[in-house]
Amino acid sequence: MKKAITAIIAVVIIALMALGYADAAAHRSHSGGAETEVDPQEIIFEHLGDAYGWEVPFNHSQRIPLPVIVRAQDGSWHAFLSSRLADGAQYDGFQIAEGGDYNNKVVQILPDGSQYRPIDLSITKNVAGIFIAALLVLLMVFKVRNWYKKNGLKAPRRFTAALELVVDFVYTDTIRPIMGKEAPKYGPYLLTAFFFILTMNLLGLIVIFPGGANLTGNLAVTAVLALLTFLVTNLTGTKHYWKEMLWPEVPTALKCPVPLMQVIEIFGIFTKPIALMIRLFANMMGGHMVVIVFMLLIFIFGSMFGTAVGGAMTPLSVALSLFMLLLDTLVSFIQAYVFTILSTMFISMAHVHAHHE
Amino acid sequence: MELFKPEFGLAFWMFIAFLCLFGILAKWAWPFIIKSMEERADLIDKGVAYAQEAQSKLDNAKAEADKLIAEARNEQADILREAAKMRNELIEKARGEAAEEAKKVSQAAQVSLEQARKEAEKQLRTEVGDLALQIAEKVIRKNIASDDAQRALVDKYLSEVETKN
Repeated sequence: MKKAITAIIAVVIIALMALGYADAAAHRSHSGGAETEVDPQEIIFEHLGDAYGWEVPFNHSQRIPLPVIVRAQDGSWHAFLSSRLADGAQYDGFQIAEGGDYNNKVVQILPDGSQYRPIDLSITKNVAGIFIAALLVLLMVFKVRNWYKKNGLKAPRRFTAALELVVDFVYTDTIRPIMGKEAPKYGPYLLTAFFFILTMNLLGLIVIFPGGANLTGNLAVTAVLALLTFLVTNLTGTKHYWKEMLWPEVPTALKCPVPLMQVIEIFGIFTKPIALMIRLFANMMGGHMVVIVFMLLIFIFGSMFGTAVGGAMTPLSVALSLFMLLLDTLVSFIQAYVFTILSTMFISMAHVHAHHE
Repeated sequence: MELFKPEFGLAFWMFIAFLCLFGILAKWAWPFIIKSMEERADLIDKGVAYAQEAQSKLDNAKAEADKLIAEARNEQADILREAAKMRNELIEKARGEAAEEAKKVSQAAQVSLEQARKEAEKQLRTEVGDLALQIAEKVIRKNIASDDAQRALVDKYLSEVETKN
């Protein structure tokens, strides 16, 4: 009986999805007249990229306004809400460029008509997303801390317990075995990185307001994270670490006339964080991209073979997208964990004290 | 390909946000959480060790209690045996003493009896001597002719003496 009800509900949902698409397509062809070509690339990059406002679900024109902070060419700072620049409007000499080198970025229109890209510290969608993620991490971590403050050493319950389990998994089972005695010193950085990345990853999977910003799928964000690990690794490295780098214990022929080993080692310093940066970026962006592509299949098929095929495609697309989103949830955790464990290893490798074999 | 060009503004805010988050958490949250978690792990470890110890102690206690009970039983048996022995000894001793006393009493009785007999004999002798003397006196006084008459007389006196005694 239960199975029968589930099956009926599923069929109804699938039918509605297909009908909804057919209806929308018919509506568009009536009102718009000419069939507009679907440009998957533009849609994908619009969804994955940054914006000066935050989309509202089911609405294509209205956006949540966010502050734009820019430094004009003459050195003056300007701050205003992004709603003033909506629909290509110009404000204070600033405009959101369409096409060109600075597509979708705020530019200053100089008196001679050319575009100048100002220093842009706007609270864009992604920046706001970062702040929201940071705030969430703060709330979550303080929830655990306050539990201990209030209840001493009693075991936490519910959500706090889940958080504590993750902290325990990352710190006790990963950081401590690798770092040993130095774990309490570097634990806070690594735990912060882990929770921040995890929260950003998961927020990116939520499609409406508090989420939806593709944060860890953005190179700037992962670059900062990798840079921090790079700085921690190299600024706290021991003498031995640098000695290994500049004068490794290998046959002299490999390091003396031609500094082969040195070049490799120093190259390695930079490849490690770059690998961190690219890995997180590519994984998260790839996941998002696949989800969008699956959804777009409906419209691509629709425009290629007609509305009926597009409608028929809907259930399959939704199912595939759902599967990818579930996979991305797993990837979110895995990538946050991988970033943390690799950072832990890089840092601990920079803390060699003696040659132990 | 905007996605592959890191935006300065975004990186800047990301940097600020991360540093703020790290500063706050590293100062007020993580060390405390880590410390608490480790303390709790220690507490649980200790609790387990304590429970195990208590369990083994409990097991030991049972054995010990059994041992104590067995010991107490042994002691009780010993005490009982001792008491029985002591009782027997006491009885034996009392019996011996009583026998001794009885012996003494009977000896004393014998001695006094002997004495009494000797005294009686002595008295008898003097009395017999006296009587003999009286009889001889009477015999001599009467001067009886026949020996038979004399013998009869002696017998008569003797029996007189005997009856007197």
